[in-house]
Amino acid sequence: MKFDIKRWVVLGASLLLGGCAPYPTFLDPASPIAGHEASLYRIILIMALVVFVLVEGALILILIRDRGRKGDNTPPKQVYGNTRLEVTWTAIPILLVIALFVMTVQTMHAVAAPAPQKSDLNVQVTGHQWWWEFSYPALGITTANELHIPVGGTVQITLASVDVIHSFWVPQLSGKTDVIPGQTNHMWLKGEKIGVYHGQCAEFCGTNHANMRFKVIVESQADFNAWAASQQKDAPQPQTDAEKQGYKMITTGICSNCHTLNGTDAKGTIGPNLTHLFSRTSFAGSTFDLNQSNLRSWLQDTQAMKPGNDMVVKLKPDEIDALIAYLTQLK
Amino acid sequence: MSVQAQSLPKMQDKSESGLLSWLMTVDHKRIGIMYLVTAFLFFLVGGTEALLMRLQLAQPNGKVLTPDQYNQIFTMHGTTMIFLVVMPLAAGFGNYFVPLLIGARDMAFPKLNALSYWTYLFAGIFMYSSFVFGGAPNDGWFSYAPLTEKLYSPTHGMDFWAMGILLLGIATTIGSINFIVTIIQLRAPGMTINRMPMFVWTTFVTSFLAVFSLPSLTTAVVLLLLDRQLGAHFYNVAQGGTALLWQHLFWFFGHPEVYILILPAMGMVSEIIPVFSGKPLFGYMAVAYSAVAIGFLGFTVWAHHMFATGMPATSLLFFSADSFLIGVPTGVKIFAWMGTMWKGKLRFSSAMLFAIGFVALFLIGGLDGVHMAVVPVDWQITDTYYVVAHIHYVLFGGAIFGIFGAIYYWFPKITGHRLQEGIGKWHFWIMFIGMNLVFMPMHFLGIAGMPRRIYTYGDGLGWGIWNFVETIGAFAIAISVLVFLINFFVSMRKPATHESDPWDGYTLEWTTSSPPPAYNFAEIPSVRSRRPVWDQKHPEMADWKVGE
Repeated sequence: MKFDIKRWVVLGASLLLGGCAPYPTFLDPASPIAGHEASLYRIILIMALVVFVLVEGALILILIRDRGRKGDNTPPKQVYGNTRLEVTWTAIPILLVIALFVMTVQTMHAVAAPAPQKSDLNVQVTGHQWWWEFSYPALGITTANELHIPVGGTVQITLASVDVIHSFWVPQLSGKTDVIPGQTNHMWLKGEKIGVYHGQCAEFCGTNHANMRFKVIVESQADFNAWAASQQKDAPQPQTDAEKQGYKMITTGICSNCHTLNGTDAKGTIGPNLTHLFSRTSFAGSTFDLNQSNLRSWLQDTQAMKPGNDMVVKLKPDEIDALIAYLTQLK
Repeated sequence: MSVQAQSLPKMQDKSESGLLSWLMTVDHKRIGIMYLVTAFLFFLVGGTEALLMRLQLAQPNGKVLTPDQYNQIFTMHGTTMIFLVVMPLAAGFGNYFVPLLIGARDMAFPKLNALSYWTYLFAGIFMYSSFVFGGAPNDGWFSYAPLTEKLYSPTHGMDFWAMGILLLGIATTIGSINFIVTIIQLRAPGMTINRMPMFVWTTFVTSFLAVFSLPSLTTAVVLLLLDRQLGAHFYNVAQGGTALLWQHLFWFFGHPEVYILILPAMGMVSEIIPVFSGKPLFGYMAVAYSAVAIGFLGFTVWAHHMFATGMPATSLLFFSADSFLIGVPTGVKIFAWMGTMWKGKLRFSSAMLFAIGFVALFLIGGLDGVHMAVVPVDWQITDTYYVVAHIHYVLFGGAIFGIFGAIYYWFPKITGHRLQEGIGKWHFWIMFIGMNLVFMPMHFLGIAGMPRRIYTYGDGLGWGIWNFVETIGAFAIAISVLVFLINFFVSMRKPATHESDPWDGYTLEWTTSSPPPAYNFAEIPSVRSRRPVWDQKHPEMADWKVGE
């Protein structure tokens, strides 16, 4: 690894100031929520840096100035305290934390969810070990790991978990809200910039917590409408023999225990809805790019790719070929 | 003083040695040494676990550990460092030095003291035995339900964890009650509460915190065991249980626990800095009562660990405001240590370097901690590496640096040997630099969106470079610990000097021999001020004449 001081300075500066960093950071916000959070963070960071420089500076000054000289064994002046000074350095932090508290209240108010409107998009987020289910009740859409929202639109989100506690976090769009079994939490989103944003589960949720990622795709209203219209279609009929074999496995075979294929008898809810699998770019908790070769590895040995996940199957090579033949048609 | 008289006859003579004498001992000093040695061995284990984690995370998509191994190791790292290292190290110094500092001949209950140690040792071995019985605990030191339920954590790991925690709770409760009674009952004549050395003060407050917070953890863990072993449903949502119940019970213990870990180290630093500055502790009363204030406030802030759980705004604001307030007494302490050094004649011994390191690093841990009380900012940084940075500035830069300071400071009293100052300075500087290399970039990673407790991360997120730097820093810390071990063996091989007062100290432990006899003091000293030994050396400037 080459030590490149310029790059480090750029990295440091982008971390402190935001801007176009390579990371999914709230300091590069794409929503009013993350924007408010970033502004507040910067103010507090500057306050902390000022205190840091003053106190550490004073400490270093004392260490240099008051170091003992060799051979000087007389004790220094014995000072036991100074009430005025002690009151001062108690009072100043009190004033600082009052200021911080006021700013906290203001920002909480600014990022609070707006009252629901008819025009809002409602999304139900469901946490599973270790993938995300997104459904749009009003649109009749259920998808996984990739959340599409229209730019500028207010999205009201309901969060629930089918197993353990997860936490929904898209740094550039919003802070975390925990996804708790037996409790329904609410949050909201509003994407202001078109783009694809990294999201990740932020509460330790078991073996593959690290691979419970997702994407939020903020797109134009037209793109969103087109996506929604396509998602509302049922799964296509198989054409070739291989596709037919795959279709049969999914709709009546082992796959249907866990997966749903809209418009067929496959109505399982343990795993992701497969109806428009290849409209997505990633799979298995947005851990792997979705392409034929990754999908083949997955079907050969899901446990090797993502240890501990719920999908435990033993498939023959020709079955895998058949499944891939049909699944790739699910656009 | 009748309690002391009763506990006297049963203690061993110093000349007794051999394994059996250690197994049977009820001497507070020997129990203290056993605590310190055991906890240090666990420190090496917990540190090795940290190195394994750093190797796994050194680059994206690391393949050093499987997810299961990583989860077991990060769980045991946290559990070990908190329950098997920092708490018992503080207990070890407390056992050895609280009686000496207050001019007593032993702890109030010597046999309970031994029971406390052996329970701790057994609990530690018991927890680690889970590695050979089908898997270690793997749900984090915080062990959030319902992940810990049998359905989601089917190995016995969580049972080992829960029962180990129960045992450790018993050990700590016994030890804490022993400290409280000792400090209330056995102080030398003239040592009023407001003349106690600061380490005694912080041990006192810490003991109360433990006694009042541990029942909540015990409850949480018993309910978990009932769920796991007898099919109860306290945390089982499908059967009408509540997932968040665990978090409330756990953090009602867990936040006071943070102060249980840091307060003793604050006490150690408050002993070291005055001696090596040649001055009394600046604002003694403010330092003592700020510890009490931290103790009280510590019980009212638990839900700041739960800001993202969907609490109502009023609750959020209450816990936010309370958390801010803790910054005030903490600031008072930092300023008091600096006021003590101000216009002193500073001697930069290794002990003093670690104490100064404590002040410098703890300040960072305080400032980044304030960010987490700001609710909207916390929503972004909670459960990220930012929190990992914060807790390590407080618990490594704070607690561990304070404890190493105490090791250098009190080692001559315990062994009759001074640790080598030259090697000690290498130890300090390598550890100080390594510490900042590991934990400073964690702030950046938290801000850059890296969640904690993940065994791997993809490339393309820009997290690799900082993780690589951190891994280098982790090995620097490991080297510094090796330097310390070398120092230990080199120093112990030199002939003992048995200096009773190597640092020109202020407090009563320096009036007796090094190591002290089994009965500590031939004659129970009487005390007229906070610095009895200073008074003896400088009768014309005695504290009781001019100070206080």
